[in-house]
Amino acid sequence: MPGDHRRIRGPEESQPPQLYAADEDETPAARDPTRLRPVYARAGLLSQAKGSAYLEAGGTKVLCAVSGPRQAEGGERGGGPAGAGGEAPAALRGRLLCDFRRAPFSGRRRRAPQGGGEERELGLALQEALEPAVRLGRYPRAQLEVSALLLEDGGSALAAALTAAALALADAGVEMYDLVVGCGLSLTPGPSPTWLLDPTRLEEEHSAAGLTVALMPVLNQVAGLLGSGEGGQTESWTDAVRLGLEGCQRLYPVLQQCLVRAARRRSAAAPS
Amino acid sequence: MAAGFKTVEPLEYYRRFLKENCRPDGRELGEFRTTTVNIGSISTADGSALVKLGNTTIVCGVKAEFAAPPLDAPDRGYVVPNVDLPPLCSSRFRTGPPGEEAQVASQFIADVIENSQIIKKEDLCISPGKLAWVLYCDLICLDYDGNILDACTFALLAALKNVQLPEVTINEETALAEVNLKKKSYLNVRTTPVATSFAVFDDTLLIVDPTGEEEHLSTGTLTIVMDEEGKLCCLHKPGGSGLTGAKLQDCMSRAVTRHKEVNKLLDEVIQSMKHK
Repeated sequence: MPGDHRRIRGPEESQPPQLYAADEDETPAARDPTRLRPVYARAGLLSQAKGSAYLEAGGTKVLCAVSGPRQAEGGERGGGPAGAGGEAPAALRGRLLCDFRRAPFSGRRRRAPQGGGEERELGLALQEALEPAVRLGRYPRAQLEVSALLLEDGGSALAAALTAAALALADAGVEMYDLVVGCGLSLTPGPSPTWLLDPTRLEEEHSAAGLTVALMPVLNQVAGLLGSGEGGQTESWTDAVRLGLEGCQRLYPVLQQCLVRAARRRSAAAPS
Repeated sequence: MAAGFKTVEPLEYYRRFLKENCRPDGRELGEFRTTTVNIGSISTADGSALVKLGNTTIVCGVKAEFAAPPLDAPDRGYVVPNVDLPPLCSSRFRTGPPGEEAQVASQFIADVIENSQIIKKEDLCISPGKLAWVLYCDLICLDYDGNILDACTFALLAALKNVQLPEVTINEETALAEVNLKKKSYLNVRTTPVATSFAVFDDTLLIVDPTGEEEHLSTGTLTIVMDEEGKLCCLHKPGGSGLTGAKLQDCMSRAVTRHKEVNKLLDEVIQSMKHK
């Protein structure tokens, strides 16, 4: 990068070799639209973070760590919906600061380590989805920092990051009303569009629209929703949301198992 | 009770152990933590490796792209390392541009690449003056528990050995590159630089592979990078207490034995990958 003197200088610009490759017509194969990829989840794996979780779903690998609660830094930092409104309630509630970053080698093209607007948008989406689940009123004047790192993007990255972040918060012992489970969907293009649950990267690239839903399974409330693209009829969007919520409910037992195992490991390792 | 003493007087706590020639986690002064390496797990990267040195975890991903060679060296490619210490790995790091420690680590890796000639930049050139490979080596620390330089060097080495570049031919008529993604070949990794880090305690005692706490309590650090012929590639001693020449020689011989251990581990892993 020309102006970045904190990193080792490389060439001014570079192109990925895929641009010059013979055109491979890779269209995603047809599949059952309600299939969820098998998920591997593990909590409590980083030694330096208060709580951590690793989630792997198909090719998507996400690692999330939680630190805090720490004294909130005063002033206009980050911002969020808590800024507006009455003085006393906003000042007393804790804050959740979410940071989403993609590793430079996580996608087809190398991304600069600095990231950009998209990562900030996703960080905000994470914060908005996790806030309903965390009892921030129990952490007055404190801030909890959640950082999610996407090691490999195999489709439904935001959904995986949401789930990993909720697991990490639970692993850190942060008081929560419920876990947050995320699920991604994508709409196939063409004359008869269908919504696919848990799309792979190839399916996402060839899609006409994408949607991520976040559900709190026990309370059965939607914590977050982020979608974009050309969707068509409104009914298809409601169907998609319903499909996504079912997917989240199916995922929940796996996450419960993961947390139970992590708690057992922690109690076995504790000296007393 | 021991935990209380450790919090109040960490240095005294360590000195009690060092007097008996051992450390709180049970290691000898010259013993490394358990090293594990996992190669090729990230399929979007051209080459990847994950190294765990005790709790310290570093993941390295290499992406290869095309670029025009530098004007002053038209027959060379680029190798661009970047070490990232995100807030994920330790609470002392903040989001934002790379801090001092990350910059120092990136520069150290760049020096190791340059001095050890692990990849000859001439090998990366496809067409002199027109097209060359640029290898972006991104190292991300997932868990910071001391001794990241050793882990970074090992991760970089393992990832480079895992990199497969597609075949490129320059079409004479159109002067454009043609890439065949189906035919891939491994990089020519010429040397195997291995780093060994030491921490100096109380200006006299040297311990190998310090953890995060030990680094914090130490009065100096030293990192030696050796390659397979016992040649010194890089020596990094950022200030701290002075060392006598004899102590330095001891460190170098320890670095040579460490090189053999790491080489053996890496060969085993690569062999097991080939058998798949």
